[in-house]
Amino acid sequence: MRLLLVEDNVVLADELCAGLQQLGYAVDWLTDGRDAAYQGAVEPYDLIILDLGLPGLPGLDVLAQWRTAAISTPVLILTARSAWSERIDGLKAGADDYLTKPFHQQELYLRVQALLRRSHGFANQSHLSAAGLRLDEARQIVHSHGQEIELTGAEFRLLRYFMLHAGQVLSKSHLAEHLYNGETERDSNVLEVHVNHLRRKLGKAVIETRRGQGYRFTGDGAPQ
Amino acid sequence: MKQSIQRQLTFSLAMLLVVMGLLLAQAGLWIVDRGLRQHMQDNLQAQAESLLAALIKGPQGIELNSRHHDAIFLKPFSGRYFIIEFNQQRWRSRSLWDFELPDIQSMGFSEQLRPGPKEQQLLIYKSAYRRYKTDIKVTVAHDYSPVLASFRQSQIIGGGLGLLALLLTLLLQRQLVRRALKPLEQTRVQIEQLQLGQRSQLEQDTPIELQPLVQQVNRLLVHTEDTLQRSRKGLGNLGHALKTPLAVLMSLLRRDELQQQPELLALMQEQVEQIEQRVARELTRARLSGDALPGAFFVCADELPGLFQLMNRVHGDVLTLAWQASPGLRLPYERDDILEMLGNLLDNACKWADSGVELSIEREGAGYRVRVDDDGPGIEESQREQVQQRGSRLDEHSAGHGLGLGIVRDIVETLHGTLQLLDSPLGGLRVEIYLQPRHV
Repeated sequence: MRLLLVEDNVVLADELCAGLQQLGYAVDWLTDGRDAAYQGAVEPYDLIILDLGLPGLPGLDVLAQWRTAAISTPVLILTARSAWSERIDGLKAGADDYLTKPFHQQELYLRVQALLRRSHGFANQSHLSAAGLRLDEARQIVHSHGQEIELTGAEFRLLRYFMLHAGQVLSKSHLAEHLYNGETERDSNVLEVHVNHLRRKLGKAVIETRRGQGYRFTGDGAPQ
Repeated sequence: MKQSIQRQLTFSLAMLLVVMGLLLAQAGLWIVDRGLRQHMQDNLQAQAESLLAALIKGPQGIELNSRHHDAIFLKPFSGRYFIIEFNQQRWRSRSLWDFELPDIQSMGFSEQLRPGPKEQQLLIYKSAYRRYKTDIKVTVAHDYSPVLASFRQSQIIGGGLGLLALLLTLLLQRQLVRRALKPLEQTRVQIEQLQLGQRSQLEQDTPIELQPLVQQVNRLLVHTEDTLQRSRKGLGNLGHALKTPLAVLMSLLRRDELQQQPELLALMQEQVEQIEQRVARELTRARLSGDALPGAFFVCADELPGLFQLMNRVHGDVLTLAWQASPGLRLPYERDDILEMLGNLLDNACKWADSGVELSIEREGAGYRVRVDDDGPGIEESQREQVQQRGSRLDEHSAGHGLGLGIVRDIVETLHGTLQLLDSPLGGLRVEIYLQPRHV
């Protein structure tokens, strides 16, 4: 999952970047509204955390630009503007969630997680379940046939992305774009290694290879 | 009693008309009276001269030729009298009968009317001549009382007509004033509508006399709204400036270094939380517009769906949220104020509710009643007082029940309303707010 964090307070952004990366998200960080308006429109983000009081261009204008350009990436507004009218205006401008400062980091992470699930059609689930697997995002382990299977960070990130896109054919470049931030060097061989690790842990049929097209997550052996 | 332009105009015009009318009538009568007297004096003089001419020298001395004077001198108390005096002789007209004319010493006209017989008022002229080598004094008198009587009559008729004219004029003037003041009345109605939130500007299409007033009011409205927006923006920036560092502090408190100092951590957390609560409450209060914007209004059907969508987003879809307001209901208050009040109320209710929250807004009398019901645990009656106190909390884990109600109380106070905590028919707490009608 690749996130864009737009926040002009450096210390807060550092804290949030660190926290989000720990949770297995690839994070890009911007401080200027104009940069955000451009990058949010061209990069394939899975979710954007947007501050409203930005230099360059106000956050609500940035959001309006995205929505006018039919970019439907889920946006969570993170702002000091706590009046209910402002929250409503934020949602009307096209935001998907609204969190006011100051906040507990845990709250933000839960909202991010919930918003990601909701945007992929997994509403109201305490755990991410897809195709016979149940992912515990807090502990970064997966339940399969009543067994707990430990995952490395890279495996967890990959599996989570697969589970949220179960049944879809995902190319290697697509996966790389969504699993690494803009600064990481993308090596498709590394991806292959992680896919193989997952197959070893969960069974060969969990991920099938479509030659020339990419991978398709089919779940716990049973094709959908 | 308040001054009314209409009453003032009517009163002053009536006074003016009465005074002018009386003056004119009196002056008219005086002029006619003077003319008549002059005319009668001329008559009297001519009469005296014709009497003199009627004196002829007969065989027994001077005689009065009865053919030469009018028969009116013969009829008793006819109103025309004469006395001719010469050489110890004194001739009286028969019309005098047994009445003695008042004695006039001076020649010419008597200045005043003299009493005559049968309550007559006499104009008297006395004149001396010399004829047939004899000094002759002729006194003639004319009854003026019929003229006076007709004056009195015309005074009465004139007075009556004048009064009628006055009434008519006043009635007409009332209509005219009312028509002339109609724009003022329209403006008054518009200002009332402004207060009730039924319009946000005054109509520019008014007579030129009212234009500056209307324009000034409109400019003030725009100015107030601008100022409010500016101050809200300023508060937003201040909030941003305060809350972002607070957010940083809160995330720094999670650092491992601090986790090893639990006492210190707890202390810092408490302080940060206090700052946060205080900042939130004061900024919310400062944002309220209250009565500042008379034209502001809140359209329930436009705003509530968005608010409820937001509530569902915040509290998840497990709760059934419902609202009820008669179609087209508008509250004459500023949108942000009402949203802040309802937002905090609903947020509170949602935190405590088990399965559902209901909001109802209805007109009651001239004011509005707002009810928020939840099916949560409610609040013990003994504790209800305490909950509304500044920043108090009943349950430290469910953040901000007391705080939320405290903010709601601030808003309700600003809007001059009342807040009550009651038992809800749903089983939990009912917060009931009555918003007073706005005074025009």
